[in-house]
Amino acid sequence: MEIRLENIQKKFSSVVAVHDMNIRIKDGSLTGLLGPSGCGKSTTLFMIAGLYAPTAGNIFFGDEAVTLLPPEKRGIGLVFQNYALYPHMTVLKNILFPLENMKIPKKEALKMAEEMADIVQIRDLLDRKPSQLSGGQQQRVAIARALVKKARVLLLDEPLSNLDARLRLETREEIRRIQKETGITTIYVTHDQEEAMSITDDIVLMDKGWIQQQDSPQQMYLNPGNQFTAEFLGNPPVNIIDGKITDSVLVVCGEKLCGFDGVEDQPVVVGIRPEAVLIGNGDIKASVRLIEIVGKDKIISLDLKGCLIRAIVSLDYDCNVEELLSFSVKHSGVFLFDKTTGARIKGFAS
Amino acid sequence: MSIIEGRNTARGTVAAWVYLLPALIIISVFVFYPLIMAFRMSMYESYNFYKNVGTGFGFASFKRVLCDSDFHIAVKNTLFLSFVAMPVSIIISLVIALLISSIKKFQALFQTFFFLPYVTSVIAVGIVFRWLFHSNYGLINYFLGLFHIHPVAWLNNPKTTIYALAIYYIWGNLAFNTIILLVGVQNIPKMYYNAARVDGAKWGKIIFRITLPQLSPTIIFLTIVGFIASFKVYNEVYALFGDLGGAANSAYTIVFYIYRTFYGAGRMHIAAAAAVILFVAILCITIIQMLVSKKFVHYK
Amino acid sequence: MEVVEDIKDKSPRHRGAKIIIYAVLVFGSFWMLLPFVWMILTSLKSLQEAISVPPVWFPSKPLWSNYQKALSVAPFGRYFLNTVIVSSVNTVLTIIVTILAAFSFARLKFVGKNLLFTLILASMMVPGEMLIIQNYVTVAKLGWIDSYAALIVPWIASPFYIFLLRQYFMQIPDQLYYAARVDGCRDFKYLWKVMVPNAKNTIVTIGILNFVASWNAFLWPLLVTNKERMRVLTIGLTEFTNEAGSDVHLQMAAATFIILPMIIVYIILRPYIIEGVSRSGIKG
Repeated sequence: MEIRLENIQKKFSSVVAVHDMNIRIKDGSLTGLLGPSGCGKSTTLFMIAGLYAPTAGNIFFGDEAVTLLPPEKRGIGLVFQNYALYPHMTVLKNILFPLENMKIPKKEALKMAEEMADIVQIRDLLDRKPSQLSGGQQQRVAIARALVKKARVLLLDEPLSNLDARLRLETREEIRRIQKETGITTIYVTHDQEEAMSITDDIVLMDKGWIQQQDSPQQMYLNPGNQFTAEFLGNPPVNIIDGKITDSVLVVCGEKLCGFDGVEDQPVVVGIRPEAVLIGNGDIKASVRLIEIVGKDKIISLDLKGCLIRAIVSLDYDCNVEELLSFSVKHSGVFLFDKTTGARIKGFAS
Repeated sequence: MSIIEGRNTARGTVAAWVYLLPALIIISVFVFYPLIMAFRMSMYESYNFYKNVGTGFGFASFKRVLCDSDFHIAVKNTLFLSFVAMPVSIIISLVIALLISSIKKFQALFQTFFFLPYVTSVIAVGIVFRWLFHSNYGLINYFLGLFHIHPVAWLNNPKTTIYALAIYYIWGNLAFNTIILLVGVQNIPKMYYNAARVDGAKWGKIIFRITLPQLSPTIIFLTIVGFIASFKVYNEVYALFGDLGGAANSAYTIVFYIYRTFYGAGRMHIAAAAAVILFVAILCITIIQMLVSKKFVHYK
Repeated sequence: MEVVEDIKDKSPRHRGAKIIIYAVLVFGSFWMLLPFVWMILTSLKSLQEAISVPPVWFPSKPLWSNYQKALSVAPFGRYFLNTVIVSSVNTVLTIIVTILAAFSFARLKFVGKNLLFTLILASMMVPGEMLIIQNYVTVAKLGWIDSYAALIVPWIASPFYIFLLRQYFMQIPDQLYYAARVDGCRDFKYLWKVMVPNAKNTIVTIGILNFVASWNAFLWPLLVTNKERMRVLTIGLTEFTNEAGSDVHLQMAAATFIILPMIIVYIILRPYIIEGVSRSGIKG
């Protein structure tokens, strides 16, 4: 089921939560709605779910306009941040509840619920109460309840935020597996870029109620459309430094970094991915200010005439603080942005 | 006065007892002492309270109470209040609370109206009800007349006095029940309603499958409190029927019986026996309800 | 997401439901308010109007003199003063006793604490009606019949209020206490400077509810006062009703006189009262 949002706007009294939004979500895809808290992503999800009415604009499921259709008529499944499992019902009753409302005969409903329980692998938990389940198990029940009515669209609102780090990894793989298995169009709201990058087919990035970019995770990372996107994706984050273009050469802190053809002379904001800083390869000199070990990587902060640039190297790379290193930058990992609008300025390697 | 955490020191103990002293003296003299004395009094056949001596130790007083036809009326009326009036009051309150919570405009206004009886004197409003119930001039009979129902001698006919009492009791209890239920409804997390809507539950279904189960602890709480309160009804009787408890004592409740026996008739030991019976009854009901509710109620 | 604007159901069926809901609530409110409205209306009627059949809703000319008459038949001014004194003193003492006891249970460590607390909790189960017999005897022996002491003293230590405030005190973090101790703050000062201001809302709630309960108290004042000059409003009103017999309009004037102050208190302090009742579940 393809989903389209056309010129969607949402106001809460006088505050605009979502501005003029146009997106298309491909049938069968797992799309992430990504952004910092308060960016309007949950509001967008709730509009798609039918819990909020948009102030303006239209929502289509396929060719059907569903803008003002109540949630139960949209054929959606929604997994809430806190799961919202009915605490007084057993797991089975929770899963049966939507079917009961659709007046599906008991026997058939039971069969459907059990099938669903098998898919999310909670068959042995059916008689328990939600309070007796772990966070991950509750999550599965919530997904089962959302999907059991043969939903056309699955909506997930920050589904992993209540889980601990380890379980989060496991569960997100699980969500991916269930989505692939059922082939259902899925929208996944999260504020965690890593989470979005790792499991989605497509990301819609939002900030302050505006769409920043919609792209595949890889494209978005490699080819950010603006400064916000570049900064939001990636860990360790992109280096942001002031620079300028003179004679098609990017100059940062008085040091020539690399050539940029096709860009006029102007001051710019420069974004450099830490992995695009190639240490020991080149003739730009900088001293080591700080060395941090993060997991299996080492992050080296280089002091380039007062500008700090972080570079990422493997753990076994040996260096000391104060040591003078030479480096170069990989052109594909260097982005230029307009100083006032933050829009991407594209140029060619030279 | 310094106290080291985790350790009871002599000085600390003295200090703490000083803080407690006023409360302790009052509670000992006016709660614990009379409690013990009530048990003691009830065990005598006759009792001189000025000398605190009694004669004839045994269960005679209990027997007297249990055989007293006035006490039978009192028990019957009290049970009627507990098993009919109290549930009716809770059900009406439940409906009102659900209605108030389902609207947006004038919510506070209706809340104010329905809660008003909580702060007003049972006695003073009772005087007004006495007037509303008046056989000839009362507004209630006038309204009944509009539907061609013959006037009822609410307060004078021994057969109807209990209904008058029950109506007043229900009216007076709506305030407390409604407010507690309203808070209960408002405390149900919004997400369950959102989930239920996504799950396609209709209005009635949401009420019976989400709201009521979530409210069950509140309802049980009100039932327990209401049960105990209905066992202690007294002011309502006095307000509607005055000193004597209605035609042919027909509006007696257990507490009214206690009051009449000891203040009206000066038979302390009999009154004490009735009080002990009341105490045991309340204790049993509370325990039973707690056991039952543990089994059936959903607690978060 | 805090602000929720549901998709509004604009179907006629839904609108019909809304109308029914409001209609039921208005109908219910009518019955809740009727006694008060009727009381005030009747208090301004002449006796003929009050007892006319069918009833007359509005007095042709409001007779404010009914109030004068009612007040002159019985010393309601004196009753009013008594009630104010008893309720106020009772409330102040209750708050002090409650604060001290709750502090002791919540914060201090001492021998016998658990036993004592259990006893106090258990005493909440005892119906007060069971105690009045001996309490009456006690008060009589103390020679307190027809005195303010009899009306006030037995009621200034409520196990329930102590429990309620103790629960609140328990929520105040221990660190505050340790910090204060390190700063050289003694227990007593800590109680008044830190705990009491923190628990202000709960204490106000206890005060209001105690005041209302005291104002409306009936059975106990009935027992321990015989002389007219010691009566409180509720007793005065019932005595007056019994004596004034058929003068309904004057009865209603007297009833208004005792109900109105509480309605005014209610209107002013409504949020406190409603919040207090709903939080503590105090049955009136």
